[in-house]
Amino acid sequence: MEGLFAQLVTTAFLATFIRSVVPLLLTALGGLFSERSGVVNIALDGLIIFGALAGAIVTYTLDPVLGALAPWVGWLAGALVGGLIAWVHAVVSIKYRADQVISGTAINLLATGVPSVILTALYGTSTESPKVPHGLPLWGAGELRFSPPVYFAFLLVAVTWYVLYRTPYGLRLRATGEHPGAAASMGVNVRRMRYSGVILSGLLAGTAGVFLSIGNLDSYVRNISAGLGFISLAALIFGQWKPLGVLGATLLFGFLQALAITLGGTDLLPPTLVTALPYLITIIALIFTGRSAAPRALGKPFEG
Amino acid sequence: MTLAPDSRPSPTAARIALTASAVAAAGLLLFPLATLGRGFDADAVLLHLSGGVFNLTANPDAPLPPTGTVLALGWATLALLVASIVGAVRRANWFWITGLLAFVTAVAAVWVLGSGLSAETARIAADTTLRPGAKRQLRNFYAQGGMNLGLFLPIVAGLITAGAGLSARPAWWERLNRLRGLLVPAVAIGLAVLVGAVVVLIVQPAVNTSGTPFSLWGGWLAKSDLVYFVYSTLFAPVTALNPFLDSLKLATPLIFTGLSVAFAFRTGLFNVGAPGQLTLGAIAAMLVGVYGPASLGWGLLPLSVIAAGLGGALWGAIPGLLKARFGSSEVINTIMLNYVASAIFIFMIGSDTFPFLGREYHLPFKAPGYEPASYDLQPGSRLPTLLGLFNVGQGGATALSIAPLVALATYFIARWALGRRARGGLIALAAALVLGLLTWRIGIPVQIAGSQLNASFLIALIGVGVFGVLMWRTAAGYALRAVGLSPRAAEYGGISVARNTILAMTIAGMFAGLAGTHYVNGGALDEYRLKGNMPVNVGFDGIAVALMGQSTPVGVVAASVLFGTIDTGGVDVQQKLNQVDRNLVTVLKALIVLFIAAGGFLSRRVTDPPPPQLVAAAGSTGPAEAGHLSPAGAAAERATPVPNVGRSSEVNAQVELDREREGSK
Repeated sequence: MEGLFAQLVTTAFLATFIRSVVPLLLTALGGLFSERSGVVNIALDGLIIFGALAGAIVTYTLDPVLGALAPWVGWLAGALVGGLIAWVHAVVSIKYRADQVISGTAINLLATGVPSVILTALYGTSTESPKVPHGLPLWGAGELRFSPPVYFAFLLVAVTWYVLYRTPYGLRLRATGEHPGAAASMGVNVRRMRYSGVILSGLLAGTAGVFLSIGNLDSYVRNISAGLGFISLAALIFGQWKPLGVLGATLLFGFLQALAITLGGTDLLPPTLVTALPYLITIIALIFTGRSAAPRALGKPFEG
Repeated sequence: MTLAPDSRPSPTAARIALTASAVAAAGLLLFPLATLGRGFDADAVLLHLSGGVFNLTANPDAPLPPTGTVLALGWATLALLVASIVGAVRRANWFWITGLLAFVTAVAAVWVLGSGLSAETARIAADTTLRPGAKRQLRNFYAQGGMNLGLFLPIVAGLITAGAGLSARPAWWERLNRLRGLLVPAVAIGLAVLVGAVVVLIVQPAVNTSGTPFSLWGGWLAKSDLVYFVYSTLFAPVTALNPFLDSLKLATPLIFTGLSVAFAFRTGLFNVGAPGQLTLGAIAAMLVGVYGPASLGWGLLPLSVIAAGLGGALWGAIPGLLKARFGSSEVINTIMLNYVASAIFIFMIGSDTFPFLGREYHLPFKAPGYEPASYDLQPGSRLPTLLGLFNVGQGGATALSIAPLVALATYFIARWALGRRARGGLIALAAALVLGLLTWRIGIPVQIAGSQLNASFLIALIGVGVFGVLMWRTAAGYALRAVGLSPRAAEYGGISVARNTILAMTIAGMFAGLAGTHYVNGGALDEYRLKGNMPVNVGFDGIAVALMGQSTPVGVVAASVLFGTIDTGGVDVQQKLNQVDRNLVTVLKALIVLFIAAGGFLSRRVTDPPPPQLVAAAGSTGPAEAGHLSPAGAAAERATPVPNVGRSSEVNAQVELDREREGSK
């Protein structure tokens, strides 16, 4: 056991830990906006993939023109593409009142096919994009050097909390998710609130994807999200749809992921089983909380 | 599409006919009419309605069939389409005739073209001066010719126009109305095909191996030809026996997972867990098949199949139980269990050792070798291929047993002859079995290359039957459907929602788990073992299949065969074209799900109209707010006892109390 602690109390582990937390945190906070407005967003995994793909391609394409500025434009593009795809989910599930889970599943299915089609058309290979010459810059010291989305993610926890609980927008968003009929009778435009929630989730999931492709690696590779969207969804539920709860849950799940990565080289626990822990924890957490804390109108189309 | 009081086609029907005919007329002018021949790299000789021939192949002087009749028929089709447009604008009674005639002339043009091309092929086959290689090449060149978008669109549009025109007649309206369930899937497929066409137009540059550059117009024709080429290749497997058997092989696991998702849908549950259930089913089948007692021989096979079902059922029962007992969403739980199942899968066959607290432990499941895979199944637990099962030929010749056909025909004839007699179904089934066994050794010789389609396809068909009987012929199925339609009403009617939730998820899991038999016992991964490259994604494709099949067993089979077909065709497309790969098929499937979820973007009045009785009643009594009732209707209303709707709950309680007092006296 001493070996385990020696492995864990290092700056290298801390860096791995933070890098594992960031995409989860960004995606889960995005999902928070969508689900608090009453729209289930099971498409988060697909949104991450679209964001990662767009970020990598735009950065690679603009690099000869913009140089070190290109990844910043890539970040913007990845977030916008994530928002655009989320908008499709919003149109289908809000305007056409589709089953939100089925619509989200369709987006995830799209994310398994579209990247290959685009990569084949652009570069003739279906699995990865070319490496970008400049990724996002690394800020920090020593081993703890991270790209900007890392700092953005932790700042976002406070911003989300403030927006959700201290602004009129947040009040309306929460009302839309709890009781859209009542919100509508108070003059809140329920559909517009839901659109904004879903699109925000897309912007943030897209940012998470950009962090993966050009903030952490230097290209888009197939299956880059590796189910992070679903773990984020689990963190959102485990965190009871609250910003601070989400932070706690993503810290736990990120820790487990970093543990699995670190244990891969040691002889303490089978890493495959450690990676399954977040999912088991979510199942157990759901047993104890049920759907008690979920926004009450979650998943129900608004008929007004 | 409401029924107009006079017999003229309704404005909606006229608008549909107008759009269809206009699109087809534009298509005749803008797209190539036919492909006169096609080379290996999808390069083609194209014919346009104007009579222009665009040769984009490397062979500039390939002999071409005469095209005069085809062109004449094409122009006739165009004239008929224009007439249909005029008829549709005037909402004339006759436009279904011109629509139908356009369909007929277009089909005739395709037939004339086809016979011209086959005459060319026959001439080349008889030509002795050609080398065998050149002969084969030229014959392939003509065999891949045929109609193109210019003739395909009028065929479709003619049918749509005829249907729209005929919808003015009550009898035909009834007939068409019965097909309404197909509307949303059909529109969804149409829209997905349209988006896919745009993708092909954007990503794939025109194929031109002739060496001479072509004009803008020729380039456009070549590009639009590629759209038709891609789709005709995707759907080509239905036209020949061997590719069709291949597509049935890919359809088999989809039938299982589609049934799984559809079964849960019927009970109001969304089973996203088919991938995990499939994995557990495959693991269970492998455990029995590899480590079961060898002394059982062929007895091991049923045990292994049952184990697959049980493994999946267990993995489905967990979220069902959690939902029934704790109310936690089955969607989240099944997704989480997919990842847990995949972790178990990798843990078992990824490595033969695992570390635990500083010590290495041994795992007996992984076979030695680089690839993650289990040991081979014992021969007794392997499913035969269908060819092996039905081949009754002697001495190497292939002859398929006619028993299944005889049995099917016997069953339907007996069902019809016995009419409504009690136990008619059972008698018919017995007769079918007896005749099937008697004719087992009689075979018809066929030309067929080896097909890997295995007997799990039959298990899938049995699953389809079980689904249908269980859901619509048993009390348990009634309870399941009641819960799916309205849980509260079911609970009120004495049906336990919790019990049925668990039951539904267990059976859904069983269906998905049985898909494991296809991969493990059936050797669909080219070896009779559990392998790391098992495509668990077919679990998600099951969602698409169930949605497209509208959660009916026959619909699931049809959707699975369609998806299996385009999966098979996708491989061909990828081989022929540089920039389009088979992931286009994945995109098409995803778009179909998305568009079906959005109801095909059709208004609810079209997809889910009020029942005709209600419309008729509203028509005879007038709108409710008018307050008028016909004398007969008013009398009927007076005679009906007033239900307690509208009374306050206090009054209701008082009435109940009075009744109880009277009872106790």
